[in-house]
Amino acid sequence: MTEISVAAEPAFHIGEFAVTNTMTATTLVTLLIIVLALLVRRKAGIIPTRAQTAFETFLTFFLDQLTAVTGSEKIARKIVPVTVTFFVFIFISNLFILLPFVSTIVTGEGFPFLRTPTTDYSMTIALAAAIMIGSHVVALCIAPIGYLGNFIRLKGFLKIRKPMDVLMAFIDFFLGILEIISELAKVFSLATRLFGNIFAGEVVIAIVMGLAIFTKFLLPVPFIVIACFAGVVQAFVFTLLTLLFVSMNIKHAMHAAHSH
Amino acid sequence: MDAEIMKMLAAALVMGIGSLCPAIGEGMVASKALEGMSRNPEMGDKLFTNMIVAMAIIESIAIYCFVIALIILFVS
Repeated sequence: MTEISVAAEPAFHIGEFAVTNTMTATTLVTLLIIVLALLVRRKAGIIPTRAQTAFETFLTFFLDQLTAVTGSEKIARKIVPVTVTFFVFIFISNLFILLPFVSTIVTGEGFPFLRTPTTDYSMTIALAAAIMIGSHVVALCIAPIGYLGNFIRLKGFLKIRKPMDVLMAFIDFFLGILEIISELAKVFSLATRLFGNIFAGEVVIAIVMGLAIFTKFLLPVPFIVIACFAGVVQAFVFTLLTLLFVSMNIKHAMHAAHSH
Repeated sequence: MDAEIMKMLAAALVMGIGSLCPAIGEGMVASKALEGMSRNPEMGDKLFTNMIVAMAIIESIAIYCFVIALIILFVS
């Protein structure tokens, strides 16, 4: 039975620095996306080619979803590039292992050379943290003081008239602290969801293939199909949820900017 | 009892109990969504994407349990 390890294995070493197999796979996925984009871009024009039509349909679908979530097409058009990039990256990296010969390359130490990038917890947490921190920075640029006021709520203390108000001010202040914790929890829940789903699929396939010799051939196929489905759905869910959080933050900031 | 056996038992319990509640929740989501789709077939597409998203969110509870089980089993 193949060894299951939660952490990524080293593919090769540059001096003291170990380059993990998810890292090599991530680089390959990035190159793949760049080549794909250049190929589609080269022939794009007013008379659309087949690939261009496919990608435009896909973009329009996302723009519609975004418009429905954010409520205005202006904001949707601004955040569509980031979210679609995330979707394309996660989608291709989830299904990357299905390419022929990818899973059979083995390094000298017996570790696989390429491994699905999203089965590395560092990878998913980096994705989630990057987009959440980015959204906070954007929101801070729109309304710095008003947006910070959502988290550090001192406004209640300025309005104290009766003894009862002191209690309310303290409750409001602690609600603000809870808001900070919920922002942190969002990052972890996004990252864990993506990592867990993809990793669970791979573990199930590995276990089924490791049961006996005759289970290596046809039996894993339904599990692989389920894992692929989970990969597509999780890519979609990750993008949709990041989008919800980002648009929520931006809306908070815009609301704060207007009320001052 | 041996610590190793205890670990395995803990992982099995985490998966068993932890996947029970999300299963009930997902069943509720699916039944309600199907009911809505059969009553109003034009809303079908919209309901389907929303159903998938809701199910994925509910499923993440089971996935957290899975991650905890993995930590119990493999991380010493």
